[in-house]
Order: sequence, then C-alpha cells, then structure tokens
Amino acid sequence: MVDWEIKVGGAAGQGVQTVSEILSLMLKRSGYYVFSLEDYQSRIRGGHTFTHIRLSDRPVWAAKRYLDLLVCLDPLTYQLHHHEVKENGLILGNFGLGEKSTDSHRFISIDFEKEAVQLGNKVFANMIAVGAISSILGLAPELVAAYIEKIFAKKGEEVMEKNKLAFQRGRRIVGIPPVLPTRNSMPNDVPQFLLDGNQALGLGALLAGCTFYSAYPMTPSTGIMNFLASKIREYGIVVEQAEDEIAAVNMALGASYAGARAMTGTSGGGFCLMVEGLGLAAMTEVPIVVINGQRPGPSTGLPTRTSQADLAFVIHAGHDEFPRFVFAPRDPQDAINIVRRAFYLAEKYQVPVIILSDQYLADSKVSYWNLEMEEIPDAPIQASDFSDYCRYALTPSGVSPRAIPGGKALVVVDSDEHDECGHLTEDLDVRVAMHEKRMKKWEAMKKEIRLPFLVEGKEVTLLGWGSSWGVLREAREELHEEGIDAGLVHFNELWPLPGGLREFLEGLPFPIVVENNYWGQLANLLEHETGLSFARRITRYDGRPFLVDELCERVKEVLRNVQSV
Amino acid sequence: MSNPFEQEGVEIAWCPGCGNFGILKALKETLFELGYEPHKVVLVSGIGQAAKLPHYLKVNVFNGLHGRSIPVAFAIKTVNPELLVIAESGDGCMYGEGGNHLLHAIRRNPDITVVVHDNQVYGLTKGQASPTSEEGFFSKVQTLGNLSTPFNPLSLAIAQDASFVARGFSGDIEGLKKILKEALSWKGFALVDVLQPCVTFNRVNTYGWYKERVYYLGENHDPSNRFQAFEKSLEWGERIPLGIFYTHRKPTYQEKFYTQIPRSHLLYQGTLSEESVAREFQLLV
Repeated sequence: MVDWEIKVGGAAGQGVQTVSEILSLMLKRSGYYVFSLEDYQSRIRGGHTFTHIRLSDRPVWAAKRYLDLLVCLDPLTYQLHHHEVKENGLILGNFGLGEKSTDSHRFISIDFEKEAVQLGNKVFANMIAVGAISSILGLAPELVAAYIEKIFAKKGEEVMEKNKLAFQRGRRIVGIPPVLPTRNSMPNDVPQFLLDGNQALGLGALLAGCTFYSAYPMTPSTGIMNFLASKIREYGIVVEQAEDEIAAVNMALGASYAGARAMTGTSGGGFCLMVEGLGLAAMTEVPIVVINGQRPGPSTGLPTRTSQADLAFVIHAGHDEFPRFVFAPRDPQDAINIVRRAFYLAEKYQVPVIILSDQYLADSKVSYWNLEMEEIPDAPIQASDFSDYCRYALTPSGVSPRAIPGGKALVVVDSDEHDECGHLTEDLDVRVAMHEKRMKKWEAMKKEIRLPFLVEGKEVTLLGWGSSWGVLREAREELHEEGIDAGLVHFNELWPLPGGLREFLEGLPFPIVVENNYWGQLANLLEHETGLSFARRITRYDGRPFLVDELCERVKEVLRNVQSV
Repeated sequence: MSNPFEQEGVEIAWCPGCGNFGILKALKETLFELGYEPHKVVLVSGIGQAAKLPHYLKVNVFNGLHGRSIPVAFAIKTVNPELLVIAESGDGCMYGEGGNHLLHAIRRNPDITVVVHDNQVYGLTKGQASPTSEEGFFSKVQTLGNLSTPFNPLSLAIAQDASFVARGFSGDIEGLKKILKEALSWKGFALVDVLQPCVTFNRVNTYGWYKERVYYLGENHDPSNRFQAFEKSLEWGERIPLGIFYTHRKPTYQEKFYTQIPRSHLLYQGTLSEESVAREFQLLV
C-alpha cells in the first residue's frame, strides 16, 4: 500500500502553491487519495512557505509529520525541514551550502532556479520541480499537460509552452527511476472530486441559492469571495468588496431584508467589527450567514496560520442576549452541507448563523470518491402579499411570518426595541413580549441540533470540533492499530448544544479534549453546559494544525502520565 | 385623494418646532406628488432624532444601526432595483459614524438618495458638537470651544464626482420639495444635505440665522460645471447657497451590474437546480 508524505518548500513567489495545485490534481487523477495543507507567511515575496501533500491508496483526511519526500526550491527549506524526513527518505532540490546532516537520507541535488534560468526565467523553477516529483512518483506525463494548459491558458501560448518544457526538463534531470509503481491509467476505484474548504464554503452558498456576498478581503476567508466571484456571470450573484467589515455585514443584512439569501465572510478581527451587525440581525430578525475563518490572535495575530480560538467569542458575541446557531464544518465535504443547512436554518428561525472555519480547513484540499448532498428542505418567504402585515406578529413559536418589501405588505424593521409592526417603542411591556418572542426560538433551535459523531472506545475517548475531524479520526484509527482501544466524539454543530448531551457524554472512558487553542474552549463549554469534568486537554496554539502521528504521541503521553501516577 | 404616505395615529418624538418636521412634510408630499406607492418605497435610517423619520411615514422601513444606513440602502437597491430606496439620517450618523460609507457609496454610484438632516449639533445625546459644527462651538463636551473645523459635505461630494449634490433648507418646504423631486428622480447617487435648525441645542444656527443668509442658486449656475459647483460649495457665512450644486449622469452600480448578468433582481428563487449542481460538481473532478 502506498501512503506517502511530501513537503515542497520555497520562498513566497516561487510558486509553491501552484506546485500543490497541480500535484494534487495529478495524484487524484492517478488514482490516489490526496490530502494537502498549506503553510505560508503574510508576505508576497521571500520568507518561507510550504505545501504538505499526502497521497495514499485509501482515503486520507490529515497529514503526518514524517516525510517520504522533501522538495527544496530553496536552501532554507532544507535547513528548516530536513529533520522531518524519514530514514531512507528522499530529499530533492537545492540544499545550498547546508550540511547534509545524515547518511540515512537519499539526496538528489537539483538547483531548480538555475535550471529555470537556462529556460529563460527563474519563474519556471516550480514547474521543473513538478516534473521531477512526477517522475519520482511514477505519474504519467500526459496527465500533467492538460493541467498545465488549464492553469496557464489565460497567460498565453508562450507561457504555457515554456511551462511544458520546464515540466519535461524536470522529468529528465531527476536521474533516478520512479520510486512508486508507475501509474499510467486510472484505476476504477478512484477519488472523483478534489476541493478545499474555501471552495466548499462558497459552493455550499451557491447551491443554497445565495445571490449576495459582501466581504472585505481577509485571510484565510478571501478564497470564499474569489470562488463566488468566479460565478458572478453564470449565476448572476453580487460579490461586493465592501469598504470594511461593518459595511460588509450591513450590506448582507440589507440584501437579506430585500429578499436575497445573503452571506458575509471574514476572520476573527473582521468578525469583531461585524458584531454590532450581528446584534442587528438578531434584533431585526433578518436571516444572515456569517463565516469566520479563524486564525491566531488576538488582534492581527498570525494572519496566515490556523486556530480554533474563536469558539467562546462567537457563541457570545454581541451585547444583551439572543439566539444564534454556530456550526464548524469538519472537512470540505461537510462544509458544503453545513453552509446549505445554515441558510435553511437562518431563514427558518430568522436568526444569524455563524460558521467557524479556519485557515487549516480553508486551504486544505481533500479528495473524495463522492460528494454527498444532504436532504435539506426549502424555506420560502411567504408573507409578502399580506395586507395589514406586521413583521413581528407574536406567535407561539416566536417566529413571525416573513415578508420582503415590494409586495402589499409594508415591512418595517428596527434596531430599536419595536412593537409587532416594527415601530420603535419604549413600552416596557412590549419590550418584554418582544424579547421573549426572540428568546423563545431557542428551545426549537436546540432540537435542530444533532448529537456529535461518536465512535466508542474502551480505554480513551478523543473529543474535538470543526476542522480537527480528519486528524482525530486518523489518530483514533492509528491508536487502535497500536492496541489502544480509542473512541471519538466530534462536534460540527456547537451552538446551541444538543439536548441530552450530559447523558451522551457521561461515562465516556478517559475523555481527552483536543483543540487548537490555549484554554480548551470546547472543554470549558462542555463542563459548563453538562456539569461533567473534562480536565484532560491537548491543546496547540502555535498556528499550525495537529498532525496525526504527533497527536498520537501526545495522547500516549497523557496515558503514560496517568499510569505512572 | 389623501396622501397614502400619511402615517395615522403616531406620536412624533421630536421637540416642538424641530427642523425635522419640515423635512418630513417635504418628503411625504414629494413621494406623493411623484406618484410613488408606499409599498414600493424603502426608507433606511440610522440612529438619532432624524433617523426616527421613517416611522412617521407609511413605507417599508429599515431603521438600522448608527452610521450604517448607506450600505443597507445600497444592498436593498441592488437586490431589488424596482424599489425606490432612500437613506436618511442626521449629520452625526452620515458624516461622523458612517463617513466612510458615504465616501464609498459615491464611488459605487448606487441609484439611491441620501438625505442628511444637518443641524450642526448632536440632539439625542444632548448638545455635543457634530461633524458640521462650527469651530469654537461650545458645549458640555467642547468646553474650550470646538477645536475642529466643520466637515463640508458638498465640497467632499463634488470633489469625489458624486452624481447629484444638493442642499436644501427645512425652513423652506416648497424649495426643499423641488430639490427632493429632482433627487428622487435622479438615476444615480444623490446627496441632499438639508440645513435644519435644532431649536433646543443650537442657539446659533436658528431659523432666523438661516433665513437671513440662504439664497437659491440661480439660472446662471451650471450644475454640470464641476469647478463652479465646487466654488459654490465653499460659500458659507454671510450668504449660504441652496439648490442643486452639481450633477453628473453616469452609469449606476445597478445599471453596470444588471447589463452583465442574466437576471433582473436577486430575490431568492430557490436552491440551485440539479443540473447546475451537477455542473458545479463536474468542475471539481
């Protein structure tokens, strides 16, 4: 069985992400399952950036620390990552004057940039690397030509041809026979789809009938805007680059009030600016979906790295109290359905829905055999032709029939406390009735929430949420293979927490909560909501995601510490 | 025929004699005289005494956050171009808290009208300086006299090549109506700054003070002449010009958008069809 880890590193501007894009597609086309993650810096040129690609014969959901192949577009990559290469692993590229640290690795020295200059420009270095890697991995060259054409078509014939030449040169100069079995044709049982989190979030919105997306560019969520912007002409949607996140959220609310399905997306700092708008959504009961792609903070933090530290923030964000949904997709496939469900529930309850993504989910590509579309009912707006309409008519459920302007119904909404017809009021009895109307939705909302994913284990139970799904799932399997009977509880619907959670979690053997934050925010939340104890926590807050093998080590360490007490 | 925009039985929360009443009356009559129907009109406002105006008319209302009426109005018009969309609020809301949105709305040129009640003072928070207060204006906060100079909305809008720039006076309802008629009928972003006395907190810029100074731009003013318009926008003091300072007809945001896409509005029409879903999935293969 093939299960390889590859890392390709270089300076920003050397085209590492293009390598990732082409290689992932080629590998998928060759019948491999692929998982890739991107690590880059907040700069346009220089510094250090890498892509980590895992390929396997079976579905893969996360990356591991130790590498089979390290490709160095520059010497810094070698310095930073050579210690991650497995014994007998392969190191390819430009090592500069760096000492080759060990005899246990196989080295192929190629100065990609120098080779590229011979082709006329150092920008072709990345495509020479793609050629070399594809040869080592035994991939058929025909597979690549098509992708080069697809990616460089817009840049003209000459650029395309030069890139093809660069690719061929890379294959030629690598100088060793393929290390993996040659793959010429596609096997039958191959993954069909490849997509990253941002594409999936954008796609989910498109499928849900979203026609209005307003946002201010902010890493790691800009990709959602790029995806939707590529669909403007075909579907007729607005993608408006707002002057700031305050405008972005207010535009989305205006659009939703007028009758469009509207969404905005940002990262934590931008979400901070949107919080007053979130309260406006709650008070006016205008449905909205907000994506917060998390990155480390506080403040600007690490703009291009990953984090799961906004959970406590988003479930409480805003003054006073109001109901909201908070979801956190597990992987790109889940993101498609979570966004579709978010639009449905936002409309059904006329509340804001917040989706917690993060840089890891946003930029990671995953391949799938199939994309599953969850059955989600429609929620049409029905009251626009009511005469004598009152937007906030009191109902047993707290949800009033929704109308949009343009029909007979006059739609009056107000950020002030208001009466049933939407006009501002300081009648405190009306205030109480209205506040209770809004809060009343909560009980029904809770019933919408599904219990977390569960695999029972007898010795230890890993708990997590959102994008850690793949790594927890694989870590659990790996622990199992090593003879540790591990279980898994994983949340993608976080707020409200589902009813019956205490009974669900009670008695789980040796729970360990795994999170990309310092406190253990899910652990705290679960303790608060269930009264159970979740004292064992594995946290990481250096801006990088957990890796499967590293996490297994940390779980075993926790287990060892208990045994030694 | 009675005015369908008349809101019956509503208690108005403004001070007796407030300049807001003139703006309310002018707007209500203008909407009626132009033949609009209430359900095709949306008034978007922010926060402050001026921002309560939409509640005193029979129309669709989005009374949102302080300073944020313009992004909301932009989006409503974009989603449903059939609606007449007016953003209105006070000078603190439009020029202070929401100043950035004004700048960028001018760039977008949405087909909306922005009416600003400009009384050079904060009313609802009781008398502080506003962005348009004179330098030296004293208040409980500006105890040394206002150290900042006033914001000039007209000069700013003309400098930014806003599509329609005008100034009215709430003490002359007929004159204001003429301006509002032009502004509401204008295709593109229209800014109407309305001078409005605050009878409680502004003891300087009173009805009398304005009446001594205001005059209408005459026939010799050419609104298509940007330099002349800019020059006029600088005139303030002994004489204060009113009227339509500047107009520049150019494609609106909505015109530019809808000529390029295959729909006439963005109202929710259901989730994507199965064929479209299949097509989108195919792109990921």
